[in-house]
Amino acid sequence: MLSSVIGYYSLIFGSFISLVIIFFSVQNFKNSKILDSKILLFSFLQLVLVFVSFLCLIISFVNSDFSNETVFNNSHTTKPLFYKITGTWGNHEGSLLLWLLVLTLFIFIFLVKSKSQLKKYRILTVIFQQVIIIGFFTFLIKTSNPFNYLFPIPKEGLGLNPILQDPALAIHPPILYLGYVGSSIIFSSALAATTVNYINNNWASHIKSWVLTSWIFLTLGILLGSIWAYYELGWGGFWFWDPVENVSLMPWLALTTLLHCILVLEKRSLFKSWIIILSIATFALSMCGTFLVRSGILNSVHTFANDPERGLFILFFLFLLISISILIFLVFHKSDNKKLSPIFFLSKETSIVINNWFMMYFLSVVLIGTVYPIFLEAISSQKISVGPPFYNKLLIPFLIPFLIFMAIGPRLRWIKSELKDKLSLVALLIISVLFSFLIVRNFNTNYLLNSILIGSAFYLFFITVQDFFIKKNKRFSQNIAHFGFSLLILSILLNSIFSTEIITNLKVGESYIEDDLKIEFKDLDKENKKNYISFTGTFYIKDKSSNNILNPELRIYNQPNIITSEADIKITLMQDNFITINSVKNEDYFNVRYLVKPFMLWIWISVLLVSLGGLISLFNKKYEK
Amino acid sequence: MKTLKLIFIIFLIFSLNYLKANETDLQNKITKNLRCLICQGQSVYDSDSDFAISLKLVVKKKINDGLSEKEIYDFLTEKYGEWILYDPKFNKNTYILWFLPLLIFLGGAIVFKKLINIKK
Repeated sequence: MLSSVIGYYSLIFGSFISLVIIFFSVQNFKNSKILDSKILLFSFLQLVLVFVSFLCLIISFVNSDFSNETVFNNSHTTKPLFYKITGTWGNHEGSLLLWLLVLTLFIFIFLVKSKSQLKKYRILTVIFQQVIIIGFFTFLIKTSNPFNYLFPIPKEGLGLNPILQDPALAIHPPILYLGYVGSSIIFSSALAATTVNYINNNWASHIKSWVLTSWIFLTLGILLGSIWAYYELGWGGFWFWDPVENVSLMPWLALTTLLHCILVLEKRSLFKSWIIILSIATFALSMCGTFLVRSGILNSVHTFANDPERGLFILFFLFLLISISILIFLVFHKSDNKKLSPIFFLSKETSIVINNWFMMYFLSVVLIGTVYPIFLEAISSQKISVGPPFYNKLLIPFLIPFLIFMAIGPRLRWIKSELKDKLSLVALLIISVLFSFLIVRNFNTNYLLNSILIGSAFYLFFITVQDFFIKKNKRFSQNIAHFGFSLLILSILLNSIFSTEIITNLKVGESYIEDDLKIEFKDLDKENKKNYISFTGTFYIKDKSSNNILNPELRIYNQPNIITSEADIKITLMQDNFITINSVKNEDYFNVRYLVKPFMLWIWISVLLVSLGGLISLFNKKYEK
Repeated sequence: MKTLKLIFIIFLIFSLNYLKANETDLQNKITKNLRCLICQGQSVYDSDSDFAISLKLVVKKKINDGLSEKEIYDFLTEKYGEWILYDPKFNKNTYILWFLPLLIFLGGAIVFKKLINIKK
């Protein structure tokens, strides 16, 4: 009760501080040479207020204070403490408050970290960021107040969707938001730099840290979401080209493009306009993600509460921001075409242009695939689905040249370069393809495509491994990221080709036997837990090489009343053994799904390696100086 | 060189379609391409809902009746609409969907050519 009041007024005061900051910023912009310390002070105060507000919401959740509407809608007294806390951001209002918290946190960090930059540029970044912050304050207070009061006070809450009661999913939103919101700093900063004509190599080195930071968090956020989907949704997949997955992938693709492009700006002062456009696009795509997920246009586990008013607000706000940024771009940006230095074919610049070219294509496939059905339905009221087959057809063929360029590109130098050992490069490519052919020939009908595809992934793999041994390798971070990516593509491809699956119906005591494999359904135990009843099966699984006991579980949650199926997975270095059970209505047998999925662990490890590359780059400023 | 690359890419796109056609288990292939209409972002194959279970039986029966893959899709689209197919059909509704990304790629090629000095 009290915490709701404090939380609400913290929010109101916090929003007023935005106006104060903008007032001082405008005053400071022309007057003095140094940045007014009041701006820093009030930014800190705003951060504290939003933090207090967020803390108050957590306290309301922990105390199960059902006079708070958000708590009532999303919590329950029997929920474990951990999920009471993480439930704070497992809903629309709370997650937006978290978003706002990160916004205020980042602008404060930006102010502290950018002391060596131009004063006018810093002030303008603060102003642009405060415009976004005001937008989110208004959105929160007007349409999604987390502190709405309920009377009479309900005795019990409605509970949190059980499939969201999960450790990976508890930290997935905050990590992802750090990535999304990081792109807002890049956006504000790019606009500010455009206004004061500060898009240069100095700015590039400074903003690169922000690009890297957002990129690392976004990568890890997507990884966590995939891991969760893999073990929680019960079908053993980790990516389904679902619209909500796509909206997180799109800013990632834009950010990855920007990350590569910013290097060219840093070294050669090229592509200024393109970098501004990419910075705007990355943030716009992050906002679009929020819009599509929150507006209820997409239906999924992520669409907490759907309210057309909210969708409209975000759409309007997004439209406003994009208009402002285009205006700024057109008015202030002076393109310096005249003194453009030529780009030679064999150079690092070319390889980065090729990267941008392909990345933009991948982005357009995902964007069109996600948005097109929505437009088609609006125009002709025809509903179509765009699923994995569409993306596979349009993406996979282009992945082959992409991987090859990704292997060779980093070996080129800036401005003008020569490719050494052309013969050995070609020879290695042929070896990779032949090697892949040996792997796939017994298992798949389409040798040719799979050999070339896996071959090009192996090619990237071998080249990056080779690069690790080059003396005085100054691009270790890039090397490890590309190596991780080759490992990722390899694991995904081999996993999809070599996965096997058995679906059968079994009663307790029955066995399923096929060739060398025996699945025995030994036992079923019932146990009452705090907020659910658990049925745990015991399965003895025997195959050629191993004996495993696996315990998949069915949970019947009390509030809300939902059955979830918890997979049991035996994880080893080379493969995962995955089993789930599901009850079948009016039958006494269970639907059993047993999967053997090779290289699963490597998919996760390789994504970690890719982000590690980013992390090393973030802390190693000496890149090719 | 460039045309060669283009031919190569087109060839790959077609061979990819071909890849699917040879798969042994037709039923799995079909049900993986069907949206479970009552689930959230799951295929019929991946789902254990009542709808998915009954649809799996329908597909099985149709295969036994000797219907081809395309005929089964046609039958299901007539009943449930194109919404059920994960692989969007190629018709006047979806020309833009299929071609726009490829056009963007070609546009990228033009920009690339303008930007880079190919002469050594």
